[in-house]
Parts: sequence; structure tokens; C-alpha cells
Amino acid sequence: MDTTRTVEALLGLGILLSALYLQSESFIDPMVSGIAVQSLLVAGLIGWLAYANGSLELAVVALLVLGVRTALIPILLRRQIRAFRWRARELRAAQRVAGHALAAVAIAIVAWFVFQETLAPFLPPTPGVALPFVLLAEGLLMLATRTNTLVQVIGYLEEENAIVYAGVLFVVAFPLLIETVVFLDVLGVVLVSIILSIQRNVFGAPEEEPLEELTG
Amino acid sequence: MDATSVAIVVVQAGAVILLAPLVAGIAARWKAWTESRRGPSILQPYRDLAKYLRKETVVPRGASWVFTVAPFVAFAAYATISVILPIITPYPVQVAPIADFLGGGLLFGLATAFALLAAIDSSSNYPALGASRSVSFAAFAEPTLIVVFFGVALITGTNNPYTTNNVLASSFASYVSPTHLLVMAAFFLLLLFETGKLPVESAGLSELGMLDDGRTFEHSGRLLGLFRWNGWTKQFLLFAVFLNVFALPWGMWSAPTFPAALANVAILLGKMLALVAVLVVLEAMLAKIRLFKVRDFLALSFSLAVLAIFAFTVLGGA
Repeated sequence: MDTTRTVEALLGLGILLSALYLQSESFIDPMVSGIAVQSLLVAGLIGWLAYANGSLELAVVALLVLGVRTALIPILLRRQIRAFRWRARELRAAQRVAGHALAAVAIAIVAWFVFQETLAPFLPPTPGVALPFVLLAEGLLMLATRTNTLVQVIGYLEEENAIVYAGVLFVVAFPLLIETVVFLDVLGVVLVSIILSIQRNVFGAPEEEPLEELTG
Repeated sequence: MDATSVAIVVVQAGAVILLAPLVAGIAARWKAWTESRRGPSILQPYRDLAKYLRKETVVPRGASWVFTVAPFVAFAAYATISVILPIITPYPVQVAPIADFLGGGLLFGLATAFALLAAIDSSSNYPALGASRSVSFAAFAEPTLIVVFFGVALITGTNNPYTTNNVLASSFASYVSPTHLLVMAAFFLLLLFETGKLPVESAGLSELGMLDDGRTFEHSGRLLGLFRWNGWTKQFLLFAVFLNVFALPWGMWSAPTFPAALANVAILLGKMLALVAVLVVLEAMLAKIRLFKVRDFLALSFSLAVLAIFAFTVLGGA
């Protein structure tokens, strides 16, 4: 394996491990760190591809990922749990770390099989081409299994990372304008989610009201 | 078989059996330093062993021959493992081809099985409880070991530990391949569990987390001494496999001579002290996890091992 492939493989491995970590973590604060590290690895991969292909556009995309997903969004998410940072946890997952870790591995294998049957025939058979699809499935699993709003935002960010990963791997360079718009979209979604999360904390979730009436 | 080959086999088996208590003693001493204690002498395990061998052996009423034979079977199993794995030499010693990685794993299993049978055979509740706990966690650990072997076999195309050592020592690309890194990480977590290090810590007499020592409550004298010795030997063997096959496959002299074998013993001891230092630092940093969380720890180890196979497939034989 040449150096380019080795670096790509190691960064891909890091992204895969970060997905496993996010699935098996039950506290929110380390999950925010986890998604920041995952975004850093994606930025590193894009930066490496920019260097390998001599593409200025990819370098700008790498910087955008670094600024928006590694720095800005984690800061915004952390502000929401500032007051209870060390206690904030996704309660329903607290006792099921083993199950979540094994589910993450199982979904990765299933995603790979689905990829082989559906998309693989249309893509060049380069090593690691299935990884973005696997990461997408991991993000979906997180959205499906977790209930906390912030954790679901993290799951959404993981999916966005998968799409960027797939974009740079398959197309090498989207027009910079599209990339920028996508990043601003993600930032917008995070901000809206945070506003909804605050609203829910202040006014309570609408679906809880009938339950309260029943118990009251 | 010529005299040099016999001498090298004796050096390999002798180094494992005789140096295992020393490594355990050094680990205990260094661990004491991190806890601001002076700690026991590094020769303390040898003194303990001499004491056990002098003491009277008491066998519970109703215990069968399994109770008495188990420590000897385990000792024989570990002695056999010591000559089939690349502990001292990077080339197979004369008797090494009797088993491969899987064979070594089965011998580890044989030693554990007899220790468990002896615990149950004692007809006492405490050893039976220890055996029960031990088995309930081993059921999570064994699949990891098997998958680690699969991962190694995928990288090197063989299940021979000597070939694995050779491939990893000669090819840096294989060493830094995602499959190897994940297999190494999975085996390291397994190593922490099997040798009773923090955050699992199965050794010691703390009732809540006790796994290994619970099994030998009814053993005494020479039989208990042998069990202790087996524990140190198992630790030495696992350290050596981790170092020579996975983490640091370099540095062994390949000349099939007696002086080179002796030099390799010193090199292995040096590597092992480095690993002990890392483990002591880790133990100073980590807290003990609760007993029911051990399965989470092992599930993580298993996940990493499966991901190693997955990475091999997805990243195209990397």
C-alpha cells in the first residue's frame, strides 16, 4: 500500500472508531468531543486529498469543516450543557454500553452488505469507498436509538460528516459555493435544534402534557 | 535434534517459567511506588513460592483427583505454550510446530478449564462462586481471542505466530495497517482482563471484584503455590505474545545459536519492563470499573476485533 492509501486508510479507520465511540458513549459532553474529533479527522482527510491533488478548493473545504464542525458547533452544543456538563447523559443508554457497541459493529456490517448490493457496482472499486455509507448508517442508528435532542443533533452531524466524506471521495471537488451553503445549512440546523431544545426545557415537551394529566 | 536446538528449547521454556515471578515482582514493586509505598522486594514472588512449597497441603473431604491434578495440568499447559510461541526466538524452536496460534489458545483454555473444575470439585461455595464469575466473563473474552486470531491470519495469510512476527517485523505497511492496529488494541484490552489489571482488576482479595483468586480458596500449600506460579506464567506468556507478535516484533536475534538465545532473553526482559511501566502508569490513572461493567469492557474489545476484520474487507486487504 502506498503512502497516500495508508494515510487515507488510517484516517478512515479513525473516523470508523469515532463512530463506534459515539455509539457506546452515554454522556453528552464526551459525545460532543467525539463528534469534534470525527469532524477533525474528516477535515484531515479532505486536507490530505487537497494536498495529494493540489486542489485549493478542497483546502478551503477542509478549513470550513475545521472551523464550523470542529470548533463552532461543538462550542454551541457545549453552551447548552454548561450548567450540568458532568451530569448530562443520555439516560436510556446508560446501562447498555455493550449493546450499543455491538449494535454499531452489526450495523456497520449490514451497511457494507447493502452498499455492496446497491451502490458498489456504480462506483470505482477503491479501498475505503464503503466507509461513508457505513458512517451514514451509524448516524441513522444514533438518530433511531437516542432520545435526547442534543444527541440527535450529534447523530445528524455524523450523517453530515458521512455526506462530506462521500462527496470528497467520489467527486473529489464539488463547487465551493455548494459546499459553503451545505455548511451554513448545518449550522442553521444546529441553531434551530438548540432553540427547540431550550424551548422544550422552558415550556416542556408538548407530548408530555397528556401524560401529566393522566398521572395528575 | 542437536544439542544447540535442545539448549534453545530449554532456554525458552526456562526463561518463561523462571522469569515469570520476577516480572510479577517488579510490577508489584513499581505499582507500590505509584501509591507512595516502598513496596515488596522484586524477589517476593520467589519467597512466596518457596513458602507455599514448604507448607502442608490440605485437600477438602470429598474432593476427587481433579482437585489435586489441576494445578499440574495447568503448569504443563503453560510450559508447552512457552515453546510454541515466539517468546525468545523469532524462528520456530525444534518443538514449536506441534501447535499454531489456535493450538496455543486451546492450551490456555485447557489450563483455565482445569482450574475451574478444581474450584467446583472442592465442594465449597466460595471457589464455585469464583469459578462461576470467571466463566461468565470468559464467555465474553474467548470470542475476542478467536476473532483476534482470525485478524492475524488475514494479515499474514497463516495462523503461525512466527510468520506473523516475521511479516510484521519486516513490513512497516503491515504494521500500521488498520487491521493490525485494531487487532493489537483488542488484544491489549484482553490482556488487561486476562492479567487482572485495572480497570478490570480481577486479582486480589477484594470480594466485590474478585474473579481469579476466588477459585483457589480451598487450595493450600504446594497446590496453591503452583496456581500462583501458573498465574505469573500466564501473565508472562500473554505479555510476550503481545510484545513479540503484536506491538514490538522487532529486535530479536535470528541466529540459531545459544548466545543469541540468551541475548534474546535480555531483550525480551527489556521490552517487558517497558510494558510493565506502561501498565503501572495506566493503573495509576484508571479507576476500577464495577463488576457488571466488565462485560462492557469485553464487548468493546470484541467490537474492536470484529472491526479489524471489517477494516480488512472494507479497506481492501489493508
